[in-house]
Amino acid sequence: MAKRIITVDDAPIIRLMIKDVLIECGKYDVVAECSNGREAVEKYKELRPDLVTMDIIMPEMDGIKALEEILKFDPSAKVVMVTAIDQRESLMKAIRLGATDYIVKPFEADRVMSAVQKAFGESPETAP
Amino acid sequence: MAGKDVHYVLRLVAKLSIDKASQVLSKMVRAGSKIELEKVYLADISKATENVMASDRGAVVGAFVDLVGDIPFKFLFYVDSQDSMMLTDLILRRPDGATKAIDVYTMSAVQELGNILSSAITNVFASDFQVAMKPTPPKMVHDYASTVFQEFLMDAATEQNEILMIESTFRVVKVDIKCRMFLLPKNDAQKTLANIIGLN
Repeated sequence: MAKRIITVDDAPIIRLMIKDVLIECGKYDVVAECSNGREAVEKYKELRPDLVTMDIIMPEMDGIKALEEILKFDPSAKVVMVTAIDQRESLMKAIRLGATDYIVKPFEADRVMSAVQKAFGESPETAP
Repeated sequence: MAGKDVHYVLRLVAKLSIDKASQVLSKMVRAGSKIELEKVYLADISKATENVMASDRGAVVGAFVDLVGDIPFKFLFYVDSQDSMMLTDLILRRPDGATKAIDVYTMSAVQELGNILSSAITNVFASDFQVAMKPTPPKMVHDYASTVFQEFLMDAATEQNEILMIESTFRVVKVDIKCRMFLLPKNDAQKTLANIIGLN
C-alpha cells in the first residue's frame, strides 16, 4: 500500500515538483496539497498522513509553527522541512523541534527521494 | 559624503546578493544564469516611474517582498509575461513552449525566484552587517510594468520624495529571459545603515 504524503508550500510550482518526484517513484501517494501552515495542521488532523513535506516561510502560519502544532497533535509525525538555502536559523529551529529531515531549495529529485526514504527507514536500494 | 558612502555600501550589497542569487538560479533552472547590476541611483519618484514606463511597456509578472528587520526594505522583482512562461518550462523541465498562458504555475515560478533573490539579499545583510532581517512571503501581481512599479512606490511616496533604486537585468543564458529587480529603503533604513557602518 502506498505511503500517504501531504505537501505544504505556498508556491504551487514547488508542490508540483515534489509531487511529480513522489508519484513517479510509484511508492507514494500525495493525498493533499496545502498552501500554508494552518491548512497543513487541519489536513494532518483529518487525513493522518504518513509524512508531510513542509515549507518554512508561508503566509498565515509558517512551517515552524505548523510543525509544532502537528507534533503536539502527533509526537510521532514525520515532517520533512523544505527551505531556501539562506534560512539556516529557521531550519535549525525546526530540527530542534523534531523535524525528521530537510530539503534545501532548489533541490534535485534525488534529494527529495533520499529524504523521504530516510524518514520511512527505507534504503535507496529498496526503492523501485 | 555619508549619503554617497551608504549608496556605495548598498551597491555592494546588491552585487553580493546578485552573485549569490545567480548561483542558486543556475541550479534551479539547470542552466547558466548571469545577473547584471545595471545601476544604483537616487531618483525622484516621478522620474523613476517615467524610466520604467519608457523601458518596460508590456505586462509583467512580479513579486513584492517586504524585507523586515533592522534595515527594512521593499523589494520588487518582475519578469516579462512571455518570458515568465519560458521560465516556468525551464523550472518544470518541460519542452520550450509548453506553457502557453499565465497561470498559477507561472506566477509561482516568478514567486520562487523572488524568494531566492530576497533571501540572498537578507543573507548578505545578516552575514556582512550582523543585522537581523528576513523576507516576508511575496505578494504576486500580473499587470503592466508601470502599474506594478507605481504600486511598489506607493508606500515610499507618503514618506519621501526621492528613492534609491537598485536596478538589475538578468538573463538565463540558455533562453535569454530578462528580469528586473528594485530595492527600496524604507523609513530610516539608510540612516540605520550609516550608523552600522560607522558613518554617523
